[in-house]
Amino acid sequence: MSTEVLTPWEPEVLARIHHLHLVARHVVEGVLHGAHRARRLGPNVEFADYKEYSAGDPLRDLDWKVMARSDRLVIKRYEAETELACTLVLDASGDTGTGDGAVRGRLPPEGSKLSYGVALAATLAYFLHLHGEPVGLIVLGGEGVEQPWIPPRGGRQHLSLIFATLARVRAGGTAELASGLSQYAPRVPRRGLVALITDFMEESTDWLPALRGLARRRADVVAFHLLDRRELSLDYDRPLVVFSPEGGDALPIDPGGDRSEFNRVVSDWLDEVRGSVVGQGGRYFPTWSDLPLEDALRRAIQGLL
Amino acid sequence: MSLALLVPIALGLGVLIGGPILAHMARQKPVERLPYGAMMLVQRLVKRLRRRRRLRDLWLLLLRALAVAALVLAVARPEVSWPGDVPEFGGTGRVVLLVDDSMSMSLRQFAGGPTLFSQAQADAIALVRDLPDGARVGLVRLGGGAEALSGSLSTDRSRLLADLASLEPGFGRTDLSGGLRLARGLLEDEPGEVVVFTDQAGPGVVQGAAEELERLVERGSSVHPRIVEAGELGNLVVSSAVYGEGLEGGTITLQVDNFGPAEIEAPVSVTLPDASEITAFATVPAEGSARVQVTVPPEVPGGIGTARVRDPGLAVDDSRAFHLPRVGASRVLVVDGDPGSTPVRSEVYFLERALAPWGEVRGGVLPETVAPAGLARLDPDVHRVVYLANLSDPAAWSTDLVDFVRAGGGLVISLGSNVTADRYNAALRELMPATLRKPRSLVSGSAEGGVPLVLPPVDDPLFAPFTRRGRRALEAVEVRVAWTLEPYAESDDVRTLLRLEDGNPVLIEHLVGRGRVLLWTSTLDLDWTNLPLQAAFLPLVQRLTSWLGGEAGMSSSRFEGLVGERVSVPLPDGGGDPRLTGPAGEELPYTVHPGAEPAVRFLPTTPGAYALQFEGSKPFARVAVNTDPLESDVRVGLALATIEAELKPELFLRRAELGLWSIWLAVALLALQGVASRLLGRRITPK
Repeated sequence: MSTEVLTPWEPEVLARIHHLHLVARHVVEGVLHGAHRARRLGPNVEFADYKEYSAGDPLRDLDWKVMARSDRLVIKRYEAETELACTLVLDASGDTGTGDGAVRGRLPPEGSKLSYGVALAATLAYFLHLHGEPVGLIVLGGEGVEQPWIPPRGGRQHLSLIFATLARVRAGGTAELASGLSQYAPRVPRRGLVALITDFMEESTDWLPALRGLARRRADVVAFHLLDRRELSLDYDRPLVVFSPEGGDALPIDPGGDRSEFNRVVSDWLDEVRGSVVGQGGRYFPTWSDLPLEDALRRAIQGLL
Repeated sequence: MSLALLVPIALGLGVLIGGPILAHMARQKPVERLPYGAMMLVQRLVKRLRRRRRLRDLWLLLLRALAVAALVLAVARPEVSWPGDVPEFGGTGRVVLLVDDSMSMSLRQFAGGPTLFSQAQADAIALVRDLPDGARVGLVRLGGGAEALSGSLSTDRSRLLADLASLEPGFGRTDLSGGLRLARGLLEDEPGEVVVFTDQAGPGVVQGAAEELERLVERGSSVHPRIVEAGELGNLVVSSAVYGEGLEGGTITLQVDNFGPAEIEAPVSVTLPDASEITAFATVPAEGSARVQVTVPPEVPGGIGTARVRDPGLAVDDSRAFHLPRVGASRVLVVDGDPGSTPVRSEVYFLERALAPWGEVRGGVLPETVAPAGLARLDPDVHRVVYLANLSDPAAWSTDLVDFVRAGGGLVISLGSNVTADRYNAALRELMPATLRKPRSLVSGSAEGGVPLVLPPVDDPLFAPFTRRGRRALEAVEVRVAWTLEPYAESDDVRTLLRLEDGNPVLIEHLVGRGRVLLWTSTLDLDWTNLPLQAAFLPLVQRLTSWLGGEAGMSSSRFEGLVGERVSVPLPDGGGDPRLTGPAGEELPYTVHPGAEPAVRFLPTTPGAYALQFEGSKPFARVAVNTDPLESDVRVGLALATIEAELKPELFLRRAELGLWSIWLAVALLALQGVASRLLGRRITPK
């Protein structure tokens, strides 16, 4: 597999950037209206409600006027309007380059899990940009990526940088979620949003500690689990020799034989991933690549809101 | 069971087994390759299925290898052989049938059912009818001494069937050894087949035929037992009946054997010679014995009695004939030669009391004391023993006395002062064991006491009662005066029973005809001896009386015999041609074996009492004929086939070629492995 790095001026990359813009804009405009509300309550900005004073509450929040009129101690609460720094983590390992209709050699292969993930990442970036939130990008694995980490910022130029990076990414190598997340976790803003777009094709015991590290940074982890329906249902009509693009042994399979047992393996695995993410306070969205991107975005926005 | 190959070289094809193994190991994998993004899950699946998959693969390999092995085996034409129970019949065309018509074959298969013999007979007839045309057949019966019913092998089947149909079970024993010998003769020492229809009953019957069986098998013949067996029925039999004598009559001890599998309580009836019947009950354990005693009346005439026990299995051996001596017999004529002035002075005062210590009513011996003239009342049919006590002149009755003794009577001669040597020596010359000389005082002057007896040997049956304390009683007997005798020679007819310590004989026995004479050289009162006052006197008198009148009397005339076995009876002198009568009183033929000791010989064919007698006189010999006790044991003994299998095991081998079966097995295995291969091949194959 080529490790060539494509420049943003190459026609294919430019077309992809444009395509990503169109897709993101179409999806976001078709799905969302209104503003994004910050999730944290804090000082200043906009009054939210009252609450009875209790020991330990800061005295500066006491509503002196209410106390003077009614001898009641009440605290004024405000809704903070803060920036929500969001970091998109895209798994571009070799395994994500497969999927129903994936075509090798394309950027990324159309119909692959990665192409779906790239579109999802672009859409999320555009959505957050529209709401004035700073957006960053981390690409784990993959090829053709010059800058695997783009810190969260606002502005159209920054969004263009993210789109350009997404347009050039190709599936390759190994994601190594554990090491990647551990490496970039210190750079993720505290209390920020981390959108993890991956197929989780690594043992959960490997990546769970890294996820735990994000949780310690109070990061709001939202996991988009990229799933290919054909792969996970062994929907093939004849025996094959399958191999992982990331390397390793090839195995012959006869899809008709052990499909039921394989379904059980898949079911167990999905439960395992969901449990691991939710167990660390994160949110989990199975994202089937054959469903419209709007559905995924709608569910994601509902989750984010 | 063993396996042999008719084409063993075909096993070389076994290398073909390597084919499926190699094919299995180098199984072709799918050609199309596909990049797959969920390999981690496939590996998890493989891990889950690995053990199950390995087993399935092993079965598949095994099935393929077995299929090829079965094909190779089919080509090699395997033949299985295993030992059968009996040799395979058929093929030689030379057959000898041995039909057991012994007594045990009369056993019924079940109560009221057919006998074993009828079953064997039917089997034999069926076999003869099934024989192929041209087969040469002979027939031998085994009961009571084997007999060939055909002189040689013959194709005349109708005659053989007629011979078979005419057979009936007899009373004899199974002569299997003789039957096999006759079969060998009919086969003229050439190979053939001997079919034995028997029950294999009786201990030693089959073992006794082992040598003949070996000879037959050595000559290439085979023996085919066709065993007929009864169900649960056993057999009860009176195996012995022994009379035990007593002073007041006696008892008959019967032993009843049970050869069946269950305990049985059965009535046992004893019929005495005078036709009186005594019944008792016997509880006989399974395959065990029981003893039953019946008491006979005080007075029973001697002869042959019958003990009978009934059972539903085998009826022909239910009766057992046995000899019964004359019980309580002994009407004794006591001739008092010296009556004396008072009873106590009588010569026979003590003798009378010793003969009938409880009086005439209860006594087993019935004494009749008479004066010398009373000897005219001597009746051989009534009296068994005569005592001549100090009789002065027996000449007038000498002839009667001789006839009486010759006919089996007993005579005791006691001497005394009245006796005259010349008269006795002349009149009773034929009866006296030795010639009398004169009385002699054995002690000097008026000395007290006398000469004691030399104690008799304890193994003498006459003195059998005088052991231990009875022997000590004899030690006290002393004799002061006794008659001396001319020297005489001990012989089979004359023997000295008692002597004094000085060597003088005091009691001598003389056999005359079928009777006996005992000579007591002293007195039976206290004149010359202290014997009448001794404790030994009463038992000695009783013993001598019963010896002469019952136990020893006519003893030479009692014979035992078995059905089917020749009986020989010594022929007494001077009686002419005797007459032989059977159990039903019928007159039977016999032969006289000439020689120094001529004997009457006959072959009894039925059990019961046989008698030999001269015209107008009592039987001089009685023969109790019974069935062979071995034949009463109807339990199945050692199997004929067991011995034959040891001698020639190859005769019992069954063979079957498995060629077709092997092919079918191979085809089935191939089909099975095909199905299994298709099913198992649809699974993910781990590397």
